[in-house]
Amino acid sequence: MSNKLIDLVNISKSYDNELILDDLNLYIRENEFLTLLGPSGCGKTTTLRLIGGFESPDQGKIIFDGQDITKLPPHKRTLNTVFQKYALFTHMTIAENIAFGLKIKKKSKAYIDDKIKYALKLVNLDGYENRMADQLSGGQQQRIAIARAIVNEPKVLLLDEPLGALDLKLRQDMQYELIRLKNELGITFIYVTHDQEEALTMSDTIVVMNQGYIQQIGTPENIYNEPENAFVADFIGDSNIIDGVMIEDKVVEILGTKFACVDEGFGNNTPVDVVIRPEDVELVSPQEGIIEGVVSHLIFKGVHYEMEVQAHGYEWLVQSTKLVPVGTKVGIKVDPFNIQIMNKPASEDEEAVMLDE
Amino acid sequence: MSRKRLKNTLVAGPYLVWIIGFIVIPLMFVLYYGLTDGDGKFTLDNVRAISEPIYYEALFLSLDLALVCTIICFLLAFPLALILRNMKITNKGFIVFLFILPMWMNFLLRTYAWQAILDINGVLDTFLGFFGIEGFSIINTPAAIVLGMVYDFLPFMVLPIYNTMIKIDDNVINAARDLGASYSQTLMKIILPLSMPGIVSGVIMVFVPSLTTFAISDILGGGKMLLIGNIIESKVKRAGNMNLGAGLSLILMIFIVVNMLFQARYSKGEDKSSLI
Amino acid sequence: MAKYLKKIYIGLIILFLYLPIGVLIVSSFNNTKVLGKWGGFTLDWYKNLFENEAILNSLKNTLLIAVLAATISTVLGVLGCVAISKMKRSTKSVINGVTNIPMLNAEIVTGLAFMLLFIGIGMKLTFNTLLIAHITFCLPYVVLSVMPKIEQSDRSMYEAARDLGATPLQAFFKITLPEIMPGVLSGFVMAFTMSIDDFVITYFTRGSGIDTLSTKIYTEVKKGIKPEMYALSTLLFVTVFILMILANRAPSEKREKKPMSRKKRIFTFAASGVVAVLIIIAFIFSMKDNSPTSNKELYVYNWGEYIDPEVIKMFEEETGYKVYYEEFETNEDMYTIVDRGARIYDVICPSDYMIAKMIENGLLAEINYENIPNISYIGEEYMELSKGFDPENKYSVPYCYGTVGIMYNTTMVDDVVDSWDILFDEKYAGNILMQASVRDAFCVALSELGYSINSLNEDEIKEATELLIKQKPLVQAYVVDQVRDKMIDNRAAIGVIYSGEAEYMREENPDLEYVVPKEGTNFWVDSWVIPSNAENKEAAEEWINFMCRPEIALLNFEYILYASPNTGVKELIEDEELLNSQALYPSDEVLARCEVYEYLGEDGDAMYDKYWTEVGAASSELADEEEEDTGMGRMFVILNIVGIVLVLVLLIVWNIREGIKERKRK
Repeated sequence: MSNKLIDLVNISKSYDNELILDDLNLYIRENEFLTLLGPSGCGKTTTLRLIGGFESPDQGKIIFDGQDITKLPPHKRTLNTVFQKYALFTHMTIAENIAFGLKIKKKSKAYIDDKIKYALKLVNLDGYENRMADQLSGGQQQRIAIARAIVNEPKVLLLDEPLGALDLKLRQDMQYELIRLKNELGITFIYVTHDQEEALTMSDTIVVMNQGYIQQIGTPENIYNEPENAFVADFIGDSNIIDGVMIEDKVVEILGTKFACVDEGFGNNTPVDVVIRPEDVELVSPQEGIIEGVVSHLIFKGVHYEMEVQAHGYEWLVQSTKLVPVGTKVGIKVDPFNIQIMNKPASEDEEAVMLDE
Repeated sequence: MSRKRLKNTLVAGPYLVWIIGFIVIPLMFVLYYGLTDGDGKFTLDNVRAISEPIYYEALFLSLDLALVCTIICFLLAFPLALILRNMKITNKGFIVFLFILPMWMNFLLRTYAWQAILDINGVLDTFLGFFGIEGFSIINTPAAIVLGMVYDFLPFMVLPIYNTMIKIDDNVINAARDLGASYSQTLMKIILPLSMPGIVSGVIMVFVPSLTTFAISDILGGGKMLLIGNIIESKVKRAGNMNLGAGLSLILMIFIVVNMLFQARYSKGEDKSSLI
Repeated sequence: MAKYLKKIYIGLIILFLYLPIGVLIVSSFNNTKVLGKWGGFTLDWYKNLFENEAILNSLKNTLLIAVLAATISTVLGVLGCVAISKMKRSTKSVINGVTNIPMLNAEIVTGLAFMLLFIGIGMKLTFNTLLIAHITFCLPYVVLSVMPKIEQSDRSMYEAARDLGATPLQAFFKITLPEIMPGVLSGFVMAFTMSIDDFVITYFTRGSGIDTLSTKIYTEVKKGIKPEMYALSTLLFVTVFILMILANRAPSEKREKKPMSRKKRIFTFAASGVVAVLIIIAFIFSMKDNSPTSNKELYVYNWGEYIDPEVIKMFEEETGYKVYYEEFETNEDMYTIVDRGARIYDVICPSDYMIAKMIENGLLAEINYENIPNISYIGEEYMELSKGFDPENKYSVPYCYGTVGIMYNTTMVDDVVDSWDILFDEKYAGNILMQASVRDAFCVALSELGYSINSLNEDEIKEATELLIKQKPLVQAYVVDQVRDKMIDNRAAIGVIYSGEAEYMREENPDLEYVVPKEGTNFWVDSWVIPSNAENKEAAEEWINFMCRPEIALLNFEYILYASPNTGVKELIEDEELLNSQALYPSDEVLARCEVYEYLGEDGDAMYDKYWTEVGAASSELADEEEEDTGMGRMFVILNIVGIVLVLVLLIVWNIREGIKERKRK
């Protein structure tokens, strides 16, 4: 888990004068499960297509295994893609679909047959050789798309929102399936999704993107617990993002009340964004809390209750396993360790540039 | 339930009566005339006439010209459709419009215009004359007839192919490239087979009319080449021999039935509707 | 680079598609009748167009039929689709198969089938038969557009409407119909376009006096299209072009980023088409009504370009009859139509031998000469000549006469032209225009061989056939009246033509000269006759009498320049040169060499037709050696048979294989 396998250097790309990627730098290590996460239009799919070779960057280089592959056409790259809507060849049988890449490479028939068997077994679809692609369900088509890609033994597998079209249960099953596959194959996965839960479940590394810029790179824990800006905090899980003022090191004023925190180096009396995860908000008796509020909404969510608490003109989102009825006066308490302080950007663009560097 | 079905049959009634009365029965009349002589007695002579050299040679000439025309149309239309598909034109109606529009100028007039273009001292001849190229004229040759057919029927090849091609998902093409196929391999193994329904309708829509045309060969062939269409037309309209005309039509219908079987298998409901 | 190549390729295809249209549009402003020659700018054709009733009428017919056929087939088709969609799968596929026949079948077979049906059940070919045919071949287009929409449409919407209290009819009109509307509209437009563009089926099924643009153009192609036709087509084309551009522009101005969905595309296409159709309907109704004010009608069937159009108008004004004037191209063509009773005419102008044939087959009515006092102006010698085909002068009144001879261009031919020989001279290969009618073609060959032009000796005819086949490679084209335009425009050096055309051609191109060959030729008379099934016999006689009036005959003479048997005309002609023209008034010495065509009898006709087809089917390649030619011919036949068998076998094998594959999958 150390070598840089793919290195994107100063990549820029625009369509119709609209900038999609601006001076992007990113490297991907060998055997990594890397997820590009972001809302639609953030440039994640374009990044994937650049790696796949379906687009070429306006500027910048793509290095693969020490070689510059910026101008290499897709069929000469030793990586394979699993497309969003599977893109199976509807005029071929499943076996023909899977054999496609191998036949192009002129492998022997015995080899190809072995591979088809192996791949179908791997994706739990043995016996489906002679079906036509459009006779399968969405989840099955998905597995075939994966099988079709991996029989070529790529060093990297690119997956473009592969689970997007599946229903919830199937999606969760496939997540485990993908992790298993990755471990069995021992290759690099680059995964594109807009679903943060998927990203958190499967990835070794998550790259959060927005508007053509990388917002944050890190492990799932890292991203979740220490979002570097309001966008990341908001995008990954639910958050309370509150305007605050950093009075001095380790003291932040939120909604007119001083809170203790662990952050330093923001200077004195600096406006900041404060992020507090809903599960980190503790509801205590009004006397015990730092600030006081009233529970205004309550929903049962299965594993926990979700509540909204009106306090000092802000609606706090709170998750707790303990039920507090609507109308109850409560106190709010937050562990200093769970208060996340972020610089306020002057504008969104500036924010992005700053973080990109 | 049965009342419902009865009602349904009533709604379908006019339509069913129409197609039986004006599609099925007229064909029966062709069959009847084709298998009888002038006095209404049964005979196979009209069909057997095809074994006479003048008739089968005309049929073969028609088949050959229709084949050449279909191949040329395909060779012109396939790359064209591919280019148009890849251009990602937002307003696809415009493409349809571009190829349908010429139909609003009567096809006989357009063909006649080709006569003026190709004729000796015609537009092309005069134009080439400026460059010192003399005596280039294909009027009244099979080449001129094929040109006229290609001209008249090309849209019927372009539109169905184009309309099937724009249905091919970009990612399917990308997937083939991704799996190691070069551009030409992708073309042969993915794009071509996936365009097949359009190609089949195109081929039929070009082959059948070019096999049976008589106006084009009349106008551009200078009356020197008789196609099977010309023979049927002259037997019926000039010599008044309906029976022979019907007999030869029966022979033609064999080729058309083969075509229809071919289409039923391959294009699965894609036909002239794919023009739009 | 590749991008440019692609653009160039698209550009070339578009050029190819639009080049002829450009030529036609330019021709509509061209001050000469010859297509493809620039003679200065003019707007006359547009002006003339609105005075040309024949063309305007054919336009009106075309549009009326298209509107009616499209509307009726749409209603019929939608009803059919709604009902069929609820039927069993197997029934459905059978019905769909039948519906598609007119679309997949060859047009010529469909046209013939209709013709045989109508003749077989004794229906006269009228506007209605034409309409029935058009509705039928429009149906598949409607069904193909509507059926998918009905099958896609959400059944639960219809059920919801019923649930909310709508009757089935209300539910259909308020829910189902609006939902399938795009399909209905595009079906309508497709049907409309196909009907407008159709020629073949119309050609076989049109009724008497009914010309559509297509059939009008087809008859005109043979004798040179009137430039008004280009003007009309240009107007039609430009109108549709502008409408379509407007319709296509509208959405793109909104700068939609998303590509248009197919549904939307069809809708735009259909909507713009419907707008075009509506405008056309408005146009039809705004057109001045040409239908007769009285029910006095006269159906005239004459050779192409064989009368001064003014004369028809004068006749209508004087008598109050509405004249339906139609043209034929060859005697044989005319005979088929009259014989079949497919169309009814009141007065016809066939040639000598054809009159004899019509008399023999009882197709003609005796003329009441009391109603034709002007017959006194017809020269006695011509009435005498007519006895050759109308022995008792009971059936015909001579209209024009002349010879068949050679027209040649003095700048292109150095030899002395006085014999048919010149038509068989290899020196003039590709520069010879032959007549496309059986009798005239055989007249040339039989005279050249020294046989009678009325020969019934099969050996002589065979010999003539061989000669014609030998001549074929030398011939540029077989045409009828087109000889005139082609020779005026120096497109050929030598042509076989009727003497009547000679004077007009010499006026247009002084290099041309007319000769009656020394071997002899045909002397012909075209006379007015009244068919026995005529419905307006008195009107016909009035017409003939009118034609015999010297002033009228003179007008016609000046217009068509064919010699008139009318003694009054000769007196009225002032131009000395015309009076002395050998082409117009052949000397007795020339006449002595000529023969009149006789009726050959049914067997004779069949024999000539058979050998003429042989000439038509013969190769037009110059064969150096007889042997090689037949060798090549055999190769051609064998290759074709092998090809057909191979293709059939391949198709069947492949079909079976696909079938097995499919079954396996299931």
